[in-house]
Amino acid sequence: MLNWKSTVAAATLALGLAPAAWAATEIELYFPVPVEGKLASEMKSLMERFNAEHPEIVVTPVYTGNYDETAIKTRAAMKAGNPPAAVIMSANFVLEYQINNEIEPLDPLIEAEGMTPDSYIGQFWPALHRNAAFAGHVWAAPFHNSTPLLYINADHFRAAGLNPDAPPATWAELVDAAKKLTVTDGTNTTRYGFMLPGGYDYLGWIMSALAMSNGGEYFNPYYGGEVYYDTPSMQGAVQFVDDLVHVHKVMPEGVTEGKAVSTAFFAGQASMVTLSTGSLSFIRENMKDDYRVAFMPRNLRNAVPIGGASLMMPKGLSDEEKAASWTLITWLTSPEISGHWSRFTGYFAPNKAAYDLPEMKDFLTQNPDAQVAIDQLAFAQPWFATYNTVAVRKALEDEVQAVLSGNKTAAEAVKAAQATADEILAPYVAQTAFKLQD
Amino acid sequence: MKAEARWLAAAVLSLVALIWSTPLLWMMIAAFRPQNFGGLDMASLLPDFAPTLANFAEALDSAEFARLYLNTIVVCTGVLVVQLATVTLAGFAFARLRFPGQGAVFVLFLVQLMIVPPVLIVPNLITVTRLGLYDTLIAAMLPYMGSAFGVFLMRQTFRTIPRDFEEAALVEGAGWGQIIWRVLLPLARPGMLAFSIVSVTTHWNEFLWPLMVISNPDNQTLTIGLATFTRGAESASQWGVIAAGTFLVAAPLLVAFVLFQRQFVNSFLFSGVK
Repeated sequence: MLNWKSTVAAATLALGLAPAAWAATEIELYFPVPVEGKLASEMKSLMERFNAEHPEIVVTPVYTGNYDETAIKTRAAMKAGNPPAAVIMSANFVLEYQINNEIEPLDPLIEAEGMTPDSYIGQFWPALHRNAAFAGHVWAAPFHNSTPLLYINADHFRAAGLNPDAPPATWAELVDAAKKLTVTDGTNTTRYGFMLPGGYDYLGWIMSALAMSNGGEYFNPYYGGEVYYDTPSMQGAVQFVDDLVHVHKVMPEGVTEGKAVSTAFFAGQASMVTLSTGSLSFIRENMKDDYRVAFMPRNLRNAVPIGGASLMMPKGLSDEEKAASWTLITWLTSPEISGHWSRFTGYFAPNKAAYDLPEMKDFLTQNPDAQVAIDQLAFAQPWFATYNTVAVRKALEDEVQAVLSGNKTAAEAVKAAQATADEILAPYVAQTAFKLQD
Repeated sequence: MKAEARWLAAAVLSLVALIWSTPLLWMMIAAFRPQNFGGLDMASLLPDFAPTLANFAEALDSAEFARLYLNTIVVCTGVLVVQLATVTLAGFAFARLRFPGQGAVFVLFLVQLMIVPPVLIVPNLITVTRLGLYDTLIAAMLPYMGSAFGVFLMRQTFRTIPRDFEEAALVEGAGWGQIIWRVLLPLARPGMLAFSIVSVTTHWNEFLWPLMVISNPDNQTLTIGLATFTRGAESASQWGVIAAGTFLVAAPLLVAFVLFQRQFVNSFLFSGVK
């Protein structure tokens, strides 16, 4: 109730003051809510603060559903001639907007501030660069980012005779620990040693983490027409998941959605889970048992993809709108705001300077679990981004789900996934790698 | 033998009714259950806890419910009022008037039923923007102001009314407007009521189109308001809050159903809609 009144108050104030001196530029920011909690209301109060600090701009934060719905709404609004000034978009969708020529490169705005594109993107953690700056330009500003983490229930570890301060670091140790942590009652498993989210989007992300930990790359980070599904690194990763379910029986058969995984972790029905950094604050606030956070276990190397979202600027804006949008983007990615949002959500702050601020240092001392996510950044890789990213990702997810349900072997699955993905990528490949470019 | 068969039928039907109402029952119970992040009793249908209103407090605090209710009521009423005018007139035309190409036009109308609404998002959005209505409640209503289903339903309803009534009115000197208003509409009330129920529930629950066309938080409808605090993808479900929020969204329709149950059931029986 308070929020509504303060919005009205702010709006009246803005309306009352603005026309006298100048006409404020009115812009919209589209934002999805990717994690639980009061993110939508926090975004609202953040925008109230921005509007108060920038009387020449009035930003309306527009909630736009999940990442997919945000993409639909953004495209539809652009086609209708009403592009939002800025969109918080899944970091790996940016490539497609660039391929379709739907977003503005940020270079001119960066140069107008006396920075070079390189020095601008250099403010952010290196792992984030490739999803934001490619094809010779900067296309997006990282806003909040994540990597997959291993969350473990420390109470379960101690009860099973394991040391919670030395969580599994390799796949072999993971299998070992998961076997000890799994509790069965006759033929019925009452507690699983390990769970991973098997729903769309999340599964593809976790599989790319496993393939990368197995020495693979999942996709070609330099060219959007190639994915590496039918490869030993991916087949080994799928085989590993298959064995966890059907050989070691430490993971439930079938598809467990991300929400069910975290619910099971809270309820003590799963001892280890892989979830996003973005869930960290929520878990910290709600987990009753003692827990620890660790790196994703490796097989051949430590490697995880980044996740999260970036700010991008659709085409079709006036010069005033572009300037206002740039002010907003710069403000949202500044060390102070970036750090504030990071502490609120659990996502790590993409701006490295956020970690030099005293409030962030205090926070990390009090919450060492957040430090793990930062340390893992040294091993982070770009997030898969291809032509038609969602369909290409789904090609793999459908096959891995079949493996999880016991309907396919790993070898069959990766072969089928590759065939489907190649078919989806074919039109783009025909226009790019198979064609001489002007 | 006969009595046994009746008991059996009653038992089977009760079972079906129970299965159908399970999600609803669970929602009502979960809304009052203290938050426990899916402990083993989460799925239980038995209220084995001290009821709490904390979930409702959190849900009410997470969205501007008064405004969301108002917007949704405005959209549903607006759509319904215009629809009732358009579908009764069009239904009358197809049921009673003779004009060239009648069959073809009617088939064209029915073809609309086969178009999946999301296909029309972009064209509709462009139209709405050109009319200068983007981000208004009218835009949320506009695409639904005609209804192929409604026209079909009203045509069928009018056809079940014997022509004798109209002829009698004609003899008395009534025009076609008076015939519709004084003779046909009163007789077609069950059909209109059935259509109204379908229309109101559809638009009350609609999500995608309002999400596309409305940007200003002050113009949002209930479904979008509910989604803002219940649809995080990367985290655990706060089932209690989700259930409480869903309860708040569904409650007006549930209350309306309980109050007008008899009329609703009768109108569906009469109009043959199931």
